[in-house]
Amino acid sequence: QATATDRAVGFGLVAFSLALFAYYTLWIVVLPFIDSAHAIHRFFLPREYAVIIPVVAGLLLLLFIGVFIVVVTWKSRKPAKKSE
Amino acid sequence: MTKLAQWLWGLALLGSAWAALALSPPGLRLPAPYRQALLPLPVYLLVAFGCYALATVGYRVATFNDCEEAAAELREHINAAREDLRRRGLRF
Repeated sequence: QATATDRAVGFGLVAFSLALFAYYTLWIVVLPFIDSAHAIHRFFLPREYAVIIPVVAGLLLLLFIGVFIVVVTWKSRKPAKKSE
Repeated sequence: MTKLAQWLWGLALLGSAWAALALSPPGLRLPAPYRQALLPLPVYLLVAFGCYALATVGYRVATFNDCEEAAAELREHINAAREDLRRRGLRF
């Protein structure tokens, strides 16, 4: 049996990604077919954000990974290679 | 054909199908909701794949069983190795 925290975190991740998938699917695939007068549209941002938010998040992720790699590479320079 | 080539082929096929439908070629008139849903499809598939990856990781974390005996055995091995090396003069 996995530890309680492991299970909590794990199933929490599953629940979160299921919720995210459901919300995003509704937003992108279902909403265009629903009348613009329906109340459900109140729960969703304008459609442009459905593309802008993931793209910006992806760029931020790449930026973070790049910075991380640079920092780690910088720190692991051998002292003989660069003068102090 | 290598796996990479297969993947690239598949992507190229799907990409050109999407482009053909979505970038309003003259002569093709899809009803408006379909076009609205079709346009962000690449981003949607990426996000869906990300959700699937996250869910898989979460599920595997939740169901990976602890192996108490293996952990204890490993700790023993580590201590024995450490003792051995200390005897041979390696300083920690």
